[in-house]
Amino acid sequence: MTPHREAVVSWVVVLAAAVAAWGLAAATLPLPEYYLPPPTAVLAALGDLVAKGILPTYVAESLRRMLLAALLGLAVGVPAGLLLGMSRRVADFFYPLLNFFQSVSGIAWLPLLLVWFGFGERTILVAVNYTVLFPVIFNALLGVRSVPPIYVNALRTLGAPRWRIVRDVLVPGALPSIATGMRLGLAYGWRALIAAEMLVGAHGLGSAS
Amino acid sequence: MTAKIAVQGLGHEYVNPFTRERVLALDGLTLDVADGEFLTVVGPSGCGKTTLLNILAGLIPPTRGAVLVDGRPVTGPGRDRGVVFQEFAILPWRTVERNIAHGLEIQGVPKVERAAAVRRFVELIGLAGFEKKYPHELSGGMRQRVAVARTLAANPEVMLMDEPFASVDAQTRITLQEELNAIAQATRKTILFVTHNVEEAVFLGDRCCVLARRPGRVKALVPVDIPRARRTWKLFTSDPAFGAMKDRVLRLVREEVEGGGGDG
Repeated sequence: MTPHREAVVSWVVVLAAAVAAWGLAAATLPLPEYYLPPPTAVLAALGDLVAKGILPTYVAESLRRMLLAALLGLAVGVPAGLLLGMSRRVADFFYPLLNFFQSVSGIAWLPLLLVWFGFGERTILVAVNYTVLFPVIFNALLGVRSVPPIYVNALRTLGAPRWRIVRDVLVPGALPSIATGMRLGLAYGWRALIAAEMLVGAHGLGSAS
Repeated sequence: MTAKIAVQGLGHEYVNPFTRERVLALDGLTLDVADGEFLTVVGPSGCGKTTLLNILAGLIPPTRGAVLVDGRPVTGPGRDRGVVFQEFAILPWRTVERNIAHGLEIQGVPKVERAAAVRRFVELIGLAGFEKKYPHELSGGMRQRVAVARTLAANPEVMLMDEPFASVDAQTRITLQEELNAIAQATRKTILFVTHNVEEAVFLGDRCCVLARRPGRVKALVPVDIPRARRTWKLFTSDPAFGAMKDRVLRLVREEVEGGGGDG
């Protein structure tokens, strides 16, 4: 068995065991059904949502919002982070600010966002894009700052102009950190999206309940 | 004939970021390097060797004095002065051949010519067969070979080398020194080579410049009158003339270490 298939099999086994434990708990514990619905009831509800066409629509809605935020992160967050990271003094100034905003999830802003933007699409988009953007900017900035200065000096002594140093040293050097920023941003963003959809009640995965 | 590199009354003072003390690294350093000369600069640690090299490279501006290359004052880094750094400074995300060709790429040399240059320098530096490898797949000695080849391929007027072989093992270092000697003989480039290793300084230099420590200035210039062709490690260790030269330079450096009362 290949290592990949082995991982898939063990994953299925663990999932099956967890569902079995859940079913056993729901069947044996003296609790009302609304307290701990059995897996079969959840599965039936899922089937119902799919059959009525609600779930596919809501999934598409949520994915569309997520994709928009991902594109914004790539198109705005990455260049902004790279730019701010170019100068040590500028980076030092923005570092605590960006660190603050990337630590405060969009979910925490939701009460205020609801007041500002109301129960609608705008609140959801602001919450998600905000949550994606800051880790992306922050990590792109960190990425540029973490490139060893010796690489920059080496290129300067080869006669490289500024744009060349950016293209050949700073961007490739920051790439691993940019990837981390995108990964974190999308992970945080997804949670913020579900939370916002639950609160706002607009179409989307979070409101499919 | 005018000097290829003229260092005139060079002084450099900086503030240590940790202790906040003012450090006078260089003071009144005057030195001429002739065209095609291989000058080694040796001195105890803390004598400002690396500062001197960084000023020559144009990476830091001096506080006093001037540096002229071909009669023109140095105001910043430029491709007329190639640098081989002490730390590994080749780009880890570029293959051996793309690192070697980087200087030519910057100069806008067409791809075909770049490929020809890569072939030539890969051969010269003994890295044939490793063109497609990434730096992390190479040993420390091979990585420094790539750095030397990158600088050579860019074809600078002057090569500045900052203890390039300090972090490779003793066995590899001897090989690299012999190779550099052969390259110096073949290319007749003006080379300024900074080291704390007296044997290395005497083995490689046409002249050996001993720096006084803190503030750094020229203490002595020792000519090494041994033809390049005879500079093999075997002869170096058996020839009494070499031995005497080494002892003389070592004595000069030791005076600085003891007289300075520092960490050496």
